[in-house]
Amino acid sequence: MANLIEQLLNALVLAGLLFLVSAGLSLVFGILRVVNFAHGVFYMLGAYLGFTAVAVTGWFWLALVIVPPAVGALGALLEASTLRFIYRRPQIYQLLLTFGLALILEESIRIVYGPTAKGVDPPALLQGAISLGGLLYPRYRLFLVMLSLAVGAAVWLFLRTTRAGLVIRAVAQNSEMADCLGADVARVRTLVFGAACALAGLGGVAAAPMTTAYLGMGIGVIVDAFVVVVIGGLGSIGGSMAGSLIVGAAQTWGAFYLPETAMVIMYAVMGAVLIFRPWGLFGEEE
Amino acid sequence: MSPSRVLGAAALVALALGPWVLARHQLSLLTDLLISGLFAMSLDLILGYTGMLSFGHAAYFGLGAYASALVLLEFAQPVPVALAAGMLLAGAVAVPVGWLSTRSTGVYFAMLTLAFAQFLYTVAYKWRSLTGGSDGIAGVPKTELFWGGPSLASSQAFYLLAAACVVLSLLICRAIVRSPFGRALQAIRENERRFTSLGRDPRPFKLVVFVIAAVFAGLAGALFAPFRGFASPEVMFWVFSGQGLMMVTIGGIGTLIGPILGAMVFILLQEILSSYTEHWMIFTGVVFVLIVVFLPGGLVGTARRLGVRG
Repeated sequence: MANLIEQLLNALVLAGLLFLVSAGLSLVFGILRVVNFAHGVFYMLGAYLGFTAVAVTGWFWLALVIVPPAVGALGALLEASTLRFIYRRPQIYQLLLTFGLALILEESIRIVYGPTAKGVDPPALLQGAISLGGLLYPRYRLFLVMLSLAVGAAVWLFLRTTRAGLVIRAVAQNSEMADCLGADVARVRTLVFGAACALAGLGGVAAAPMTTAYLGMGIGVIVDAFVVVVIGGLGSIGGSMAGSLIVGAAQTWGAFYLPETAMVIMYAVMGAVLIFRPWGLFGEEE
Repeated sequence: MSPSRVLGAAALVALALGPWVLARHQLSLLTDLLISGLFAMSLDLILGYTGMLSFGHAAYFGLGAYASALVLLEFAQPVPVALAAGMLLAGAVAVPVGWLSTRSTGVYFAMLTLAFAQFLYTVAYKWRSLTGGSDGIAGVPKTELFWGGPSLASSQAFYLLAAACVVLSLLICRAIVRSPFGRALQAIRENERRFTSLGRDPRPFKLVVFVIAAVFAGLAGALFAPFRGFASPEVMFWVFSGQGLMMVTIGGIGTLIGPILGAMVFILLQEILSSYTEHWMIFTGVVFVLIVVFLPGGLVGTARRLGVRG
């Protein structure tokens, strides 16, 4: 029983981090019709900047607050300086561009931080384990679950209840019509791209105490996030959430029962979804 | 004779003269260029002619390399047998992956190809007993041309084999894209919806070209293993898929010859930059981004637009 609860919590932790990344990926696709290949690198950047911020200020909470806007600002800047000019081209060019940006960012991080992984200590409040009816579970992991739940709820409320959220949903539904009705589509694209990168950056900072900041975490997370959005469907926050839970569960139980072939389960689920619903569980058929 | 035929004939003569005029390390660099060029050209069949972006093409190069390495090392067969094995394995794996991936279009296809390629990479990494894990398979020999035939161990002989494979592949790919099947692919690229509304199902076309591209990538990988003497998971990694995309884009998407030139530019750029800095990838990345934004036709596309017919 304790074991089952532990596995369940581990699955939730993984799902939470995946959600922070895949929600942004999905949101950007909804608005820009681009899958941002560089999204995983923004997650990685968040982790490394988190390491620097903690090393400089010694204060994890401060890093958690200042790193995401910094990552988001960089994302918005890159969108406005490159992607913006090629929206009219065939889709492959936008994908190629985000791939090029990913390479440049990844190599820049390697130059600045070198090849060794950087560990980040969780804040004092969240160190150690907490006892849950006979099960000792790391406090920090519980915090990750709550953080991703809170962020998920905040994103959903923002999109559903605010005026800005309304404009974003309008652009996602029909950007030309939204443009005619006075929405500043170019600005919405830049801001959404930046916000999505900030979400990925937040995921990175939050993940750093658990996974450390290391080269290759970007590609690792983007492949998982791709599987999440293929399962859940692009452009749907609910789909990202469902997909994250499925992939989190598949990886956790896979690693526990079939350590050598853990990811086979994840890909088997993805294959099954593709056969029966090629546009994902919550996605819309194009 | 048209200028393009003159250029092609001149290139053929230059390639054939290679072993007699080039130094050993230059010949080895040229072999490397040709193998990478073949890989990039195979990617262009799906990227340039069908409009499908694959982030996972290196997987088929890697499958070809492993199959070839095992055939040469474990069974000591002639090199062409290894090449056939590489093409066969790459093509065979591409069938189920392509069948699943081509059920989706556009960005879904791109994401799926990456996911499946990372899956294959992990298999190559973990299946130690077969693939040697992270060490890969080392000591792959260049055997002979046929049973009891001339040895390919010299760099000249192997170069000639590689050059012949690449030229032949280029001619076959050119015939493919000019055939009715190739026209259908380009129609899908231009407007898939219209293609469907004309009563044709695009999926079989996409699957077939995906498998063909994988077979040629497998051939490139199968040449790579004996050329370098090893096969390792590195050649299946996403970075290598990305390098293929960069070669195609630099040379010119949808031009076949462009990707081969792109591979040459890419590798020469790498050779030059890496003697100054280990972080050459960042410069190549910047060049790539600039080409995507400002020269979407790449070198060949831009040259054609400026009036150089070829």
